Amino acid sequence: MSSNATASIQLTIDGTPVSVPAGTTIFDAARLNGIPIPTLCHQQNENPVGVCRVCVVDIGQRVYAASCIRQAEAGMTVKTSTEPVLAARHTLVELLMSEHPSPCARQQHSGDCELEQLAAAAGIEQSRFPQRAAPRGKDDSSAVIAVDHEACILCDRCIRGCDDIRDNWVLARRGKGYQAGISFDNNLPMGESSCVSCGECMVSCPTGALTTKRVVGTELGRGEVLDPAELLHLPIFENVSGTFLELNQKAVVKRRFRAGEVICREGEFGSTAFYILEGTAEVFLSSPIAHVKTEGSSHGFFSRLKSMLAPRDEHARSEESARPFIPIDASVDLPYDNPIAQLNPGDLFGEMTCMSYYPRSATVRAQTDCVMLEMLRNVLDILQRNKTFRAQLERNYRQRALDSHLRGVPVFATLTPDFIGHLRDRVELVRFNPGQVICRQGEVADSFYLVRIGFVKVSEERPGGDLVLAYLARGGYFGEIALLTGSPRTATCTALDHVEVVRIAGEDFRLMLDRFPEVRHSLETIAHERLDANRLRATQVQNVPIDQFLANGLMEAQSLLVLDLDRCTRCDQCVRACADAHDGVSRLVREGVRFDKYLVATSCRQCRDPLCMVGCPVGSIRRRNSLEVIIEDWCIGCGLCASNCPYGNINLHPFPVELDDPVMPGRKIASTRVKATSCDLCHDHEEPSCVYACPHDAAHRVNPPEFFAGVLKQSNPLKSNPPKR
Amino acid sequence: MLIDATHRKWFGGCALGLALATSVYVPYSLHAPQGPKGSSSLGLVYGSVGFAFMLFVGVLGLRKKFPVWRVGRASWWMRGHLWFGFLSFPLILFHGGFHFGGPLTRTLMWLFIFVFISGLLGAALQHFIPRIHTAQLPMETIYEQIDRVRVQLATEARQLVDETCGALEGEVSRSSERQRAAAAGAGVTANLTILFGLQIGDQASNELRQFLENEIQPYLDRAGTRASRLGNPAQARAMFQQVRVLLPPTLHPNIDDLENVCEEKRQLDQQSQLHKVLHGWLLVHVPLSYALLLLGAWHAVVALKF
Repeated sequence: MSSNATASIQLTIDGTPVSVPAGTTIFDAARLNGIPIPTLCHQQNENPVGVCRVCVVDIGQRVYAASCIRQAEAGMTVKTSTEPVLAARHTLVELLMSEHPSPCARQQHSGDCELEQLAAAAGIEQSRFPQRAAPRGKDDSSAVIAVDHEACILCDRCIRGCDDIRDNWVLARRGKGYQAGISFDNNLPMGESSCVSCGECMVSCPTGALTTKRVVGTELGRGEVLDPAELLHLPIFENVSGTFLELNQKAVVKRRFRAGEVICREGEFGSTAFYILEGTAEVFLSSPIAHVKTEGSSHGFFSRLKSMLAPRDEHARSEESARPFIPIDASVDLPYDNPIAQLNPGDLFGEMTCMSYYPRSATVRAQTDCVMLEMLRNVLDILQRNKTFRAQLERNYRQRALDSHLRGVPVFATLTPDFIGHLRDRVELVRFNPGQVICRQGEVADSFYLVRIGFVKVSEERPGGDLVLAYLARGGYFGEIALLTGSPRTATCTALDHVEVVRIAGEDFRLMLDRFPEVRHSLETIAHERLDANRLRATQVQNVPIDQFLANGLMEAQSLLVLDLDRCTRCDQCVRACADAHDGVSRLVREGVRFDKYLVATSCRQCRDPLCMVGCPVGSIRRRNSLEVIIEDWCIGCGLCASNCPYGNINLHPFPVELDDPVMPGRKIASTRVKATSCDLCHDHEEPSCVYACPHDAAHRVNPPEFFAGVLKQSNPLKSNPPKR
Repeated sequence: MLIDATHRKWFGGCALGLALATSVYVPYSLHAPQGPKGSSSLGLVYGSVGFAFMLFVGVLGLRKKFPVWRVGRASWWMRGHLWFGFLSFPLILFHGGFHFGGPLTRTLMWLFIFVFISGLLGAALQHFIPRIHTAQLPMETIYEQIDRVRVQLATEARQLVDETCGALEGEVSRSSERQRAAAAGAGVTANLTILFGLQIGDQASNELRQFLENEIQPYLDRAGTRASRLGNPAQARAMFQQVRVLLPPTLHPNIDDLENVCEEKRQLDQQSQLHKVLHGWLLVHVPLSYALLLLGAWHAVVALKF
């Protein structure tokens, strides 16, 4: 065997006698002897498949042979560049070019598209052949790799890179003939597939079909840039293509922080995540854990309203959350009473900021001297898809965060440590991309979900369009109704951004209900409340002429401040009164949509689709069962809800606070913190100040369906619908 | 404030008060030996009640200054302002026996007449102008924001024109090669038609830019409508119609948007004018009212003391 393997054979290539080991392909034989043969589908680290046929050579037989797969034989005469061979290659390249979007992404970025280089060398400017009739499209779902199926020449290099080299088995061929292409898993978009973002496919691709995404600002201007070789030494980058890391080199840096140095501050906008390599850090909230309370400072005629901060034990509001933990964008939650926790080596924080550009949810300060990796979205995506890193992340979560995460949800507060221990090895962390459906209305229920990262939209399919039932942030849960009742799913749950949920299998969920009757009771109560609220909404939607409201979003409202424009002299007394009632911060703007002679002023509408709740980094804005908005005590004043509200109905109210001096520990300094507020209808008074102060009887708080039903019936709606609080 | 059926009770009360005051005044004026006088007991009663009403009416300003004071709804105070203010006038006339008296009282009476008339004018304006506002200005904005919105409109107009011209020029350059090639193979008439079409595209773009520079931009940059033809809705409509003729139908929505921008500006100008009218009378009414109250108080002190 050994003598056969090393035995040499003699053959002639382009008139030159050459000697190569037996079993060598013609392509390699030529290359070893300095005779270049062009190719597209073949590269040295992959098994040859001979699909592009560009490497054809004349071996004196009836048809030309693909040199990459044809083994050299003793006495063989090979001609690589005769006129007919060149003509055949020319035609092949021309045929490939006819379907190639020239210049492709790779050619545009780096000028090294192998097909276009071959075409240029062959002097092909325009193909004689017609272009593809049906486009194959693009796939932009991955955060790091752009897929242009149009530029794919079906060389299979990516498939061999994924399957043979990296052993990931994500890529394969799909379709036949004109429909043929590459596919991820069972023809899923790349971002939704099980792709681990190792980048091997991209570095294997000869054209612009798979390219690295050139996102603006993919370079970090600070920190120590790491060599790909150094990165590959870190276990979390195991199995990632070195070339791919090289392409993303400046998107991950090593940073050193001294003890006491602030790494990121709550409320700041950012685009990076941190991974702790060495040292420990403390994560905490410096905003006061309290909500805005507005009340009269004295009773009687000349009472003045004053806004102040009050924690929930001093001033309890209806349906105030009793959560013992505050959800943040890290592997741990913060206790409500003392919002501080420790982060250790191997912990990742800032995922939501990095992936979805939400504001930082907490302040992180180095407790000891720390070394961290700071990374941009493309690198975090690579990590999050990396099997080793995922395993580490899940391990950390199960060990450190599952307990507080479950206990952070009041209904699970009574779970015993041994049952949480039981769940620890059974729960599954599942990721979803923006827009991906987690569970669909009508499906059979098999799991219960707890939101760990991101926002989930819960909607119900109705004739005429979907109705949004809720937005769930970290700590929110769904899927219990169908499991409790044994009926199909009652709503569709969709990931609004990069979502990660904790999936508890149906059998574990049922076991939990059997072992903890109080959990069953609480869940059943909540399920009933949710179903009742859904039914109420369904009645409201069906009983009013919705088409006229939907156009203006008025149907979304539960309570509206309506100005009768025939009475309003535009004196702005309502705005002044609102500002007066809230320490100079008006929660009302006298502008908005018009309906008939009424102006729906910009004041919280208590929408049924409360977009303000999407993106809160600490999940502090939610609504009561009455749909009224409530802002929890742990609002960090980042202002995202204010900018998300399409009607400008959330304001930021500044309050003077005393904070720890970062320069001199132990000393306090005066500072200002803001808290989000929305119209509170001047709860302490019989009537909202805006309505009370209108001298022209033009301002009214109304219930929209009743009010507009009155308008549509041409009656005086204010008669039948007296001003409401 | 809109004076409608909701004022019925106030109207009834005032009518009753006026009837009562008149029924007392008529026999008093007929039988008083020296005619009705402000210094008589009844005259003093009329004066005191009238002045009390005037004071109440004047407190509306204070009520507005502190809108969160829970001292009754502001609309109640406004109704009181209107009806007690109205009633105070005949009471003060009864107080003086329809005589204007010496220099101080004469000044007071003339002041009162001005205040009363300006108040009536204000009430009438507040009754009618909000409806005009609502009916004619669907695009109104907050008055203080008008200048800012005008700047935004100017930017929007420029963007629309750029977009339209860009589309037009792109269309011409895309089709020119094809059309010039077609023209080369066509007959003389077809050739001229095609080439003429290309020229028209260039011309339309130039015309539109000139329209922006010469008409739209100056109109949007300045407050007021008088100086520009675009301030007149009929003329503006005609001008935009001419522009539409120059352009392919696919670009007409852009011209519709441009026309809407100018229409919004026209409405903002009109809103600005109406706002000045609706609130301008207060510049007369309020200072005169304060002067009236001060002089009235002075008159009361002087009359009672001396």
